[in-house]
Amino acid sequence: MTQTETAAKKTVAKKPAAAKSKAKVETPVTAAPEPKKAAKPAGKKKSGQAFPFTAIVGQEEMKLSLILNIIDPRIGGVLVMGHRGTGKSTTVRALAEVLPLIERVAGDTYNRTVEQYLEGEEAKKGAKAIDPDTLKTEKIPVPVVDLPLGATEDRVCGTIDIEQALTSGVKAFEPGLLAQANRGFLYIDEVNLLDDHLVDVLLDVAASGKNVVEREGISIRHPARFVLVGSGNPEEGELRPQLLDRFGLHARIITILDIAKRVDIVKRRREFDEDPDAFMKKYSREQLKLQKKIQTAKELLPEVTMDDAVLTDIARLCMNLGIDGHRGELTITRTAYAHAAFRGEKVVTMKHVKEIAGLCLRHRLRKDPLETLDAGEKIDRELAKVLGEAEAV
Amino acid sequence: MIAFTDIVGMDLAKQALMLLAVDSELGGVVIPSAVGSGKSTIARAFADILPEGTPFVELPLNVTEDRLIGGVDLEATLATGVRVVQHGVLSKAHGGVLYVDSISLLDSSAVSHIMDAISRGEVLVEREGLSEVHPAKFMLVGTYDPTDGEVRMGLLDRIGIIVPFTAQNDYRARKKIVSTVLGKRDSEDTRDELNMLSGLIQAAKEQLPHVSITKEQVQALIQTAISLGVEGNRVDIFTVRAALASAALAQRSDVEEEDMKLAIKLVLIPRATRMPEREPGQEDMPPQEEPPSEEEPDAEDDTPADTPDAEAEEEQKETPDMIEELMMEAVEMELPDNILNISLASKKKSTTGSRGEALNNRRGRFVRAQPGEMRSGKVALIPTLISAAPWQETRRQDQKLAGRPKTALIITKDDVKIKRFRDKSGTLFIFMVDASGSMALNRMRQAKGAVASLLQNAYVHRDQVALISFRGKQAQVLLPPSQSVDRAKRELDVLPTGGGTPLASALYLGWETAKQARTKGITQVMFVLITDGRGNMGLQAGFDPDAEKATKEQIEKEIESLSLSIQADGVAAIVIDTQMNYLSRGEAPKLAQQLGGRYFYLPNAKAEQIVEAALSF
Repeated sequence: MTQTETAAKKTVAKKPAAAKSKAKVETPVTAAPEPKKAAKPAGKKKSGQAFPFTAIVGQEEMKLSLILNIIDPRIGGVLVMGHRGTGKSTTVRALAEVLPLIERVAGDTYNRTVEQYLEGEEAKKGAKAIDPDTLKTEKIPVPVVDLPLGATEDRVCGTIDIEQALTSGVKAFEPGLLAQANRGFLYIDEVNLLDDHLVDVLLDVAASGKNVVEREGISIRHPARFVLVGSGNPEEGELRPQLLDRFGLHARIITILDIAKRVDIVKRRREFDEDPDAFMKKYSREQLKLQKKIQTAKELLPEVTMDDAVLTDIARLCMNLGIDGHRGELTITRTAYAHAAFRGEKVVTMKHVKEIAGLCLRHRLRKDPLETLDAGEKIDRELAKVLGEAEAV
Repeated sequence: MIAFTDIVGMDLAKQALMLLAVDSELGGVVIPSAVGSGKSTIARAFADILPEGTPFVELPLNVTEDRLIGGVDLEATLATGVRVVQHGVLSKAHGGVLYVDSISLLDSSAVSHIMDAISRGEVLVEREGLSEVHPAKFMLVGTYDPTDGEVRMGLLDRIGIIVPFTAQNDYRARKKIVSTVLGKRDSEDTRDELNMLSGLIQAAKEQLPHVSITKEQVQALIQTAISLGVEGNRVDIFTVRAALASAALAQRSDVEEEDMKLAIKLVLIPRATRMPEREPGQEDMPPQEEPPSEEEPDAEDDTPADTPDAEAEEEQKETPDMIEELMMEAVEMELPDNILNISLASKKKSTTGSRGEALNNRRGRFVRAQPGEMRSGKVALIPTLISAAPWQETRRQDQKLAGRPKTALIITKDDVKIKRFRDKSGTLFIFMVDASGSMALNRMRQAKGAVASLLQNAYVHRDQVALISFRGKQAQVLLPPSQSVDRAKRELDVLPTGGGTPLASALYLGWETAKQARTKGITQVMFVLITDGRGNMGLQAGFDPDAEKATKEQIEKEIESLSLSIQADGVAAIVIDTQMNYLSRGEAPKLAQQLGGRYFYLPNAKAEQIVEAALSF
């Protein structure tokens, strides 16, 4: 969460707060203009230091899927499932530090771009046209918002600010976590234990990209597009199928059995615990390097192309595996593009597809209770067939 | 109040707590122990050896979510007009100890919140319009009686030390010792001893940063973890920390063998999922007769202060292999008894509670109030009034403006909160599969398919599935109530078959499982029996190997009376007869009738057919 705290906290529903400021692009602004509101009670977000992403040993599958989602958020998020104590949440929380910056209207709680902002504000009842030139923008790191299991629905969706209602009788909307997560990442640890009613809310919002709140006569609608990241241990419970389907990628994570790697993990962890600052410093170059590489890939992405033959192979793979719907193909294609971009290559080949097919399809195979073959093996087998065919032709 | 130093026995638990006092990063100590063994006494006495003023917060089992996490103090908020925040129990324990007695009975949402707080070191409060972070770095001390069910694995994974469970059959004697000893001691002695111990721990804390561990030793610990099949990598950090803390307690600057042994005993062995593999020929270790470790004086005798000469021997040039060899010896000393007793390995015990939608219906307690339609549940009156309260003023104005008649209280649809109970756990299907005789393999396969298939759909209904197999002398719970497909698949992988047919034992065990599930919020239980209904083994055979073989009549009588009691207890049942030979039918329909359930004749039944039968009832 460390980087998201600068994101603004609340706006008054009636008037656009930032409309009066002049047009000027400022980079990067750290502190959002504090909304007109009494100082928050002490204890406002300030989380402990996160372990650096580049210092995490192993678990390449999970790391790759997170990175690919930064490069192309349309991939649809990652579900990380696996053994306990394997660094799932550490890795996701480390993500914030390698994320690129995005531009938003200065101080906008919903992290909207100028276009989105204008669209949203002008759609309001009785709103006047806003001159885009009067809007100030700022660069913020892609937000990573943590949704704890104990969150209540009103905090997730946003609600009426009780304090303002009590003190001044004003009905002001207080945006929730979904607002903060717009254009960023929404992370749910132990996602398979999330309460049903919150899952409903998430499914709703994830499908529409919008969050709608109606309460006390106010009606708020704001964009809420985010990359959903969930993690959990499958032995603690199953994930609801609809939610499972929402995740673009499914990374699996298992206990590392390599002793040298494990010694390394222990060493790094102890080093970090002893002196977090020194440890961060040690990895700052690598962190920066990765951040740059991701940024470069993001910029390269629009130039990446894919041959029709590759697309055909992807379609055949999904068909052979008996995957319903088209989300499988779509995810593979997008992920393969992002993967090629991450490698600095402009043309997607089956080599890229091969490396990400498991991530994209594992959770989409129809489950057969008596099937002994692991989903990953099955995908590999079909992939080999498709590749064999492709080569023979 | 009994002081830490007054407690006799429980030495391993005491040692564990001392390590924790030296290094709070160990996360906590869990003590499984039988009733009356003094586990909660020792946990509470833990406060004695901590620096004065360390918070010690006891978590009540029936804690509600808002008390646990914290939230808006509505009373104060309404009174002052300014939002007043109330810290939760987790945050109150910050910098100190969170103690949970009967931690296995804690409901699953509370466990999740505790897990979350441990992994963050803080609590994220995202509730009722509040968005705050409260520090919550605490040591978790949990005690429980394994017969009440197990603690969730995810939680155990975040706690450094688990005291190996040993049946304390001599607990009565222990209690007596405690009281006699107490009678003789005066409080001054106690105070002196406590002071000494506190001083020792303080010195160890100062020593801790100066203790080093070699790479080979770390490797050996990791290798041991792998050999024991311990899941996850987090455990390595705990083992290393425990070894370091143990050396610090002895005022040494190097980790030695005994430190590593202690670390293995307290961190790894309780998490073992398999016996370590040994060179061929050594596999059949005879099970040891004596209860291990706790009663053995040698482990405890190396109390920190009296090993000053340990530093002297600096021949620490062992290879990891050699060290590992030593470790394995240590492990085997502990294992044979322990692995059968300890919580993590003994998934097959009938007492395992699994993921329990733990629910506390029985205490008539609801977990939280949440917004909802008035029709869709019980209205939670107080939360509804509380949520309506802040709006009274503004609504009254609106009311006036609209010219509506004045009412005392204006409550709108939005205010309505309904009670959310944890009883959405649906039905527990207990499969009882006859694993005896020649058709056993076939039946088992059918049952496995049905179990997996039911679980695939279980999420929607919140159903759970358990599986009991019966063969030989006694029935056995193969899969305790669970919702996890993965777990079910894993547990059902290897199944022995053949032997006698202890049908009565299966019914009895199923009934026990059903009763236990009820205390965890499951309201409906259904038996799915896959058998030909011909029991030929008496109930007694399972408990007493020397028992006289029961006669056919006795066995029939047993089955009948058990069945009738189960029926009277409100457990539903179906009996599925899959045998081909249809001439010999007779027993299975009778069994179904005694259970008040239905009989299905499904030779060659497919998994789906069984599921259908179970769901149709």
